[in-house]
Amino acid sequence: MTMSVGVLLLTHEAMGGALITAARHVLGKLPLPLDVIEVEPGSDPDSTLRDATLRARSLDGGDGVLVLTDLYGATPCNVAQRLPGLGVHMHCVSGLNLPMLLRVLNYPEQKLDQLAQTAASGGRGGIFVDHA
Amino acid sequence: MLERDITVSNRLGLHARASAKLVQALQGFQANIFITYRGKEVNAKSIMGVMMLAAGLGAQLRLRADGPDEEAAMAAMVDLFERKFDEGQ
Repeated sequence: MTMSVGVLLLTHEAMGGALITAARHVLGKLPLPLDVIEVEPGSDPDSTLRDATLRARSLDGGDGVLVLTDLYGATPCNVAQRLPGLGVHMHCVSGLNLPMLLRVLNYPEQKLDQLAQTAASGGRGGIFVDHA
Repeated sequence: MLERDITVSNRLGLHARASAKLVQALQGFQANIFITYRGKEVNAKSIMGVMMLAAGLGAQLRLRADGPDEEAAMAAMVDLFERKFDEGQ
C-alpha cells in the first residue's frame, strides 16, 4: 500500500469546514485523509496547538502532514508554525482557498514537498480577473 | 495522436463537478490529454486547468490524446461528454 500525506486545515471560524463541504460537493469522495480545526475568536493558542498536534499525528500515515491555513501571520498560521517544534513532520501553506484545496485533492499521490508546491500554485492560479 | 471536436451539451457546461468527473475519469490513462477552447489549451487531467476554460453550454472544444492508450482515453472522454456528465440535462 502506498502512503499518503494527511491534510489539516487550520483556519479562522467557519472557513475550513465550509471549504471541505464545497470540495466534497465538487469531488464526491475525498482521496486524502483530511481534518479541520477552526480557531474560535478568543481561544487559547496553546490549547489550539495541543489539539493541532494530536490531529496532525493521527493524520500522519508516515508521509507527513500538509497544513493549510487561511491567512499568513494570523493565529491559525502562527500555531501551525509551532508544530514542527513538537515533532510534527509537516509543511504549511497559507492563503487557503477552494482552488488550492481542490488542486491538492487532485494530486493525492504526491509526496509532502511536492504537494506543498502544488497547493501554492493551485491557490495562486485560481485567481482570475474578468475581461473588463 | 488522436483529435476530436466536441460540443459541450450539458446545461451547466464544464462547471466544477463536471470538471472533477472528467479529471477523475482520465487520471488512470498514460496518454497526455489536452482540451483546447478559444485558443487556450489545458491539461485535461488538471482540475484547475479544465475549469479555467470556463466552457459553457454550446462551447466547441477540441480534444487531443497522445500516448499508448490514447484511443481508450479519447473514448472515455467523449463518453462523458455524450452522457452529459450524468447530469441528466
